[in-house]
Amino acid sequence: MQSKLSDTELIEQTLAGNQAAYADLVKRHQRFVFTLAMRFAKVREDAEEIAQDCFIKAYRSLGSFQGQSKFSTWLYSIVYTTAMTFLRKKRVDTDSIDDENTIIQLENRSSGYDVNNVENKSRSFYLNQAIDQLLPDDAAIITMFYKGEQSLEEIAQAMGMEANTVKVKLFRARQRLKDKLERNLKHEAKELI
Amino acid sequence: MNSIEEILWNYIDGLCTPEEQKIIDTLIAEDEAYRLKYHELLKLNQEFSAIELDEPSMAFTYNVMETIRTENARVPLKAAINKKIIIGIALFFALTLMALLLFVFTSVKWAGIAPHVNLAYTFKMPAIDAGTAKIALEGFVFFDVILALYLLDAYFRKKTAARHA
Repeated sequence: MQSKLSDTELIEQTLAGNQAAYADLVKRHQRFVFTLAMRFAKVREDAEEIAQDCFIKAYRSLGSFQGQSKFSTWLYSIVYTTAMTFLRKKRVDTDSIDDENTIIQLENRSSGYDVNNVENKSRSFYLNQAIDQLLPDDAAIITMFYKGEQSLEEIAQAMGMEANTVKVKLFRARQRLKDKLERNLKHEAKELI
Repeated sequence: MNSIEEILWNYIDGLCTPEEQKIIDTLIAEDEAYRLKYHELLKLNQEFSAIELDEPSMAFTYNVMETIRTENARVPLKAAINKKIIIGIALFFALTLMALLLFVFTSVKWAGIAPHVNLAYTFKMPAIDAGTAKIALEGFVFFDVILALYLLDAYFRKKTAARHA
């Protein structure tokens, strides 16, 4: 069961030496941090490594958190930096996946866990599939905006960008996501026919 | 100029001014194109809000806390080496040595053991003019300052690296 205490209270308790309070903080934010890491790493094992690394880094520098922003915003900035470093290290190909070859690869990848009955797939499945096909930055902005309860200013702070840049990026990311979603759905509809 | 989509997304996100909001309200009510687009984007917005979060492994929290515990267990070992104790020991030995040397020097009868040295040659120190001495002194101080800055820089670098680690 998760603690009802606020993030700030849990941080205070952690700083006072109560490690169980930090475990509660981890439990509270782990799903989002992991999802955000998945947007960059695309592989569960790597995402888990990034997410764990983020929580450990956050614990180490918890004393420097001044509470001027939300804890989640501060944590997401750590996730963003760690994930970017990870991408640089791994030299993951972050090119646009608009070219045909990549689409074929992604379709093949998704067919791995695909049940044959396409009709049973929910629209959220296609939405997650479309998010997977976005560039890491676009996917991260969409995730932070819709699931991270972050304002444009907070996303900008976490990503080290201007709020206006994030606004433009969010607009473009939504357009790309919409296009990918429509294309995936059309593709599945064709397969059904 | 903003596209219809951009205007409507701003409207949906609540990023419009009250005046802009009124204008868009009217446009949605009166313009078919705006109305259709607005409903399309609203539906998309609802879908995007329903994105599902991924679930990490069951042992995720345990793994994080275990790593932290392991790190913490290592730190007290370092912290156990109290610097004050080390400084205390060093001071004790330094004082003992100094006291010993002082005792030795004061108890030795220098007059008895000092040999009578008869210097056959008289050395003459080379004359150093005031200008050369000043340059040498300034050079020495300059070298010291550079050395101090270098050491200070190395110290701060080490401290920053330790903080980032």
